Order: sequence, then C-alpha cells, then structure tokens
Amino acid sequence: IEGRKKTYGDREGPDAMYVKLISSVGHKVIVKREYAVTSITIKAMLSDPGQFAENEINEVGFREISSQVLSKVLRIYFTYKVHYTNSPTEILRFATAPQIAPELLMTVNFLDC
Amino acid sequence: MEAGEELLPLFDWELKPGRPHQFDWKSSCETWSIAFSPDGSWFAWSQGHCIVKLIPWPLEEQFIPKGFEAKNRSSKNETKGQGSPKEKMLDCGQIVWGVAFSPWPSPPSKKLWAHNHPQVPDVSCLVLATGLNNGQIKIWEVQTGLLLLNLSGHQDVMRDLSFTPSGSLILVSTSRDKTLRIWYLNKHSKQIQVLLGHLQWVYCCSISPDCSMLCSVAEEKSVFLWSMRSYTLIRKLEGHQSSVVSCDSSPNSALLVTASYDTNVIMWDPYTSERLRSLHHTQVDPAMDDSNVHISSLRSLCFSPEGLYLATVADDRLLRIWALELKTPIAFAPVTNGLCCCTFFPHGGVIATGIRDGHVQFWTAPRVLSSLKHLCRKALQSFLTTYQVLALPIPKKMKETVFLEPFGMRY
Repeated sequence: IEGRKKTYGDREGPDAMYVKLISSVGHKVIVKREYAVTSITIKAMLSDPGQFAENEINEVGFREISSQVLSKVLRIYFTYKVHYTNSPTEILRFATAPQIAPELLMTVNFLDC
Repeated sequence: MEAGEELLPLFDWELKPGRPHQFDWKSSCETWSIAFSPDGSWFAWSQGHCIVKLIPWPLEEQFIPKGFEAKNRSSKNETKGQGSPKEKMLDCGQIVWGVAFSPWPSPPSKKLWAHNHPQVPDVSCLVLATGLNNGQIKIWEVQTGLLLLNLSGHQDVMRDLSFTPSGSLILVSTSRDKTLRIWYLNKHSKQIQVLLGHLQWVYCCSISPDCSMLCSVAEEKSVFLWSMRSYTLIRKLEGHQSSVVSCDSSPNSALLVTASYDTNVIMWDPYTSERLRSLHHTQVDPAMDDSNVHISSLRSLCFSPEGLYLATVADDRLLRIWALELKTPIAFAPVTNGLCCCTFFPHGGVIATGIRDGHVQFWTAPRVLSSLKHLCRKALQSFLTTYQVLALPIPKKMKETVFLEPFGMRY
C-alpha cells in the first residue's frame, strides 16, 4: 500500500529498516535494525523464525532494562559501533557513567554486545 | 578478534638521527627513551648523543599513519595563527635516559586530586622532563624549547621518570642510586620526598592513572608498590625470577604489568597482589637459534590507551603485541637492531619503538572497538576497588567477570 511507505522504510515485515525496543516502563526507542543487531541477543530474537514472536512485528520488549540504559546507552553504543567499525577515522572515547555501570553490566551480559 | 592479518603491526615510518654530534661518543647513540605528549601533539625522542628532539605530531602530511584525518592538523594551524609548531633540539649535555611529558591540558580528574593537594601550578604550560646520566633532571618548556629548571638530588644515573596524571606537576624519578624521588615542581623547594627501600638500581616506575599507587621495579626480583598519598611502601609483589626492568599500569588502574629479564611479563591485580597471568617470551623459531641472538629478556612494555593490548620489546629484537585475554602474542614485528623502549600514541593506532642505533620506528597498531561489556567493566574498575566490587548487589558470576577473572569472558 503505497500511502504507508515512508521515505526511510518502515517497521513492518522481516526486511524492515527499523525496530522498536521497549523498556521496562514502556518507553519505546526506535533504532535502525542494522544498529540493533549489534546485540547478538537482539539479532537472534529478530532473525530466528518461529522462535520469538518479536520476529513478526519487529518489536522487542525488555521488562528488565530501564529507559535510561536503553535510550541513553544502548542506542548510543549501537550508533558508535556501527559508525566506527571498519572506519578509517580516529575513534573517539565512549564514556560510560560509572553509576549505572552495575546495571549496565547485567544488561550487556544479557544482550551480548 | 578480527582476522589475524589485519592485526600485524605494519611498519610505517622511521626517524633517523641527523649527523652525529661533533663529539662522536660511539657508545652513546641509543634511543633510551621516547614519549608522546598526552594530547598527542608532540613526540619526544632521546636520539642519543645527549640530544632530545621534540617533534610536532603528526609528522608531515604524507606520513600521517592510516586513521588520522588531515583536517585535524589544519584546524590547529588556523587557531594558532602563527604557522605550525616547529621541531626543537634540546641539548642536554649528558646521556638522556628518560623523558616524560607533563599532563597538559589539565585533565578533568584534577578536581579529585585537588581535594588532597590544593596547589595551583605556576608552571602552566606543557613541559618535558629529561633524566640524565649524572642524576640531574632538566625541565624544558615544550613550546619554546627553553630550559626552565634543573633538579639535582640523585647521586647516580637517573633512569626513568613519570609525571602524575593528575595535573599537579608532581614528578617521580628513579635512579641507580637505589632511590625514588618525588618532586613538586610548583613548590619552591622542589624535592619533597625520597623513597628508600630498593637494594639495587631502580629501573622504572609507573603511577596508576587514578594517582593512588606508584609501582617501582629494580635490579631485584620484588616489585614495590608505594602509596601516592603517604609515600610509604604498601607491599612487595613476588614472582619474577630475575631483575624486573619495566612496569606499566592499565588505563583504568586495575592491572599492573611488569617485565623481567627472566623472559616473562606478569600481570598483577595491584590491590590483592594476585598474579593473574604470565606471558612467556619464547623463541619464535627455534631453528633460528643463533648464538648471537640473546634469549628473549624483556626490555620494555606498554599498555595501549584503551587497555586492550600490551606491546613488549625484547632482546630477540621482536616487538610483540598481546591481547589481554590470550596467552600468545597476536602479532610480531622484527626490528633490525636491539630495542630499548616502546610507547603507544595516546589515541591508539600507532606504536613507536626506540632502537639502539638511535632510530625510532613507527608501527600501525591494532585498533579494535571495545565491546560495551568491556567499556562497562572498565568503568566499574576505575570507579571501585576489588573489595567494593565484591560488595555489589549483582550475581557472583558477574563479579568474577569484573575483576577476578577478567579475561574469562568472551568479548
């Protein structure tokens, strides 16, 4: 249906460019699929047919991940990783606030990224 | 890790000393020491014959190693308005054994340090300290090449020196007179402490980036750990079988590595004295075992700025690069002559090695993006001591990954 197609692709179907990540309180973060699959766990959830319901609608809900970690850290880290991988430019430091580090450690262990 | 071939250090460029000084002391041509300034804009090269060259970095347009954009340099020129900084030659009058840049511009961590040591530095520019054969230390202003200070105190060859990363211009020096000395460059009296304890020549020192501990190694088997707050000995680390010649702290202060003539590098947890890992430097190819080639006694080592790699130089003329979690080197580079020292460029990507004939060679170093797991671990390690991590409300297995078994997890 042409009217629904946007310039940058949409969130429907297996080839969708964007995916939605949902935090523990329901905040939704939309990221490019290419960035989100930096996390091996998210990649598996989105590409394994039949195993995860998330595959169909390109939404992944994380009941354990806070909004702060999700939007401030994960989305920024995914962008950082994609931008600098195999890039000739000088890599800038990615700083993480030590206060959220314990919670972040649990999250990244789960997400494997 | 990515494919092995991409990680081989590639030889980029070589700096050769100019014509030897008119007083041609044949025995003093070694490059004992090299250093990059903390912001990466200068390179100091003790090129033998008592000369130290200060070279603006990057070297020249066509020699910019892969990964540095030319536009960095031109924007610096625009803001200076005086043209690019020029090379300086510093004639020290004595063999130069150690060079060290002061931390400049003042790092943000200075606020933490100022709590304990509230001096405002009156030397407010980038300086280079050079340690000389007669024990003297000369302090030079980098921008102009002028000699600022002459520090006397050591009774014998001054071997290594290091500024604290905190920005308060505290200098630590080690010497063959078996002492370490602490100098406050701001205070009028300058030398404020002498650390006694070593029984032999002290070779090298390293200050942990959080400025809490000082490690010193000497021509004896024990590694000494001193407190940078009270300037007293905290503990000795035992494990090496021979003289320990070099030491370095990881960028998050969680690891200490030491290199020895016994061909081993040992990785320690400085808080618990635990030995985490031993890296053996064996002959690369046993068939090439000439009687002329020394067994691989270590000479120097250096952490990469993000803390993922270690570079070592040994008497078998090989530069080896190690990834922290593996037991064998990930890359080797053969050098034409004996190696004296090595250092990483502060933003990563380049390793410089100083050689016995006075040359410096630059190599492309592996650059890998840290996983978020590693970044997170680093943040925790810099923020908490081992014992505080043990008290965190997270599962035991997760605690182990932060400290006790830092290399067990896959990245």
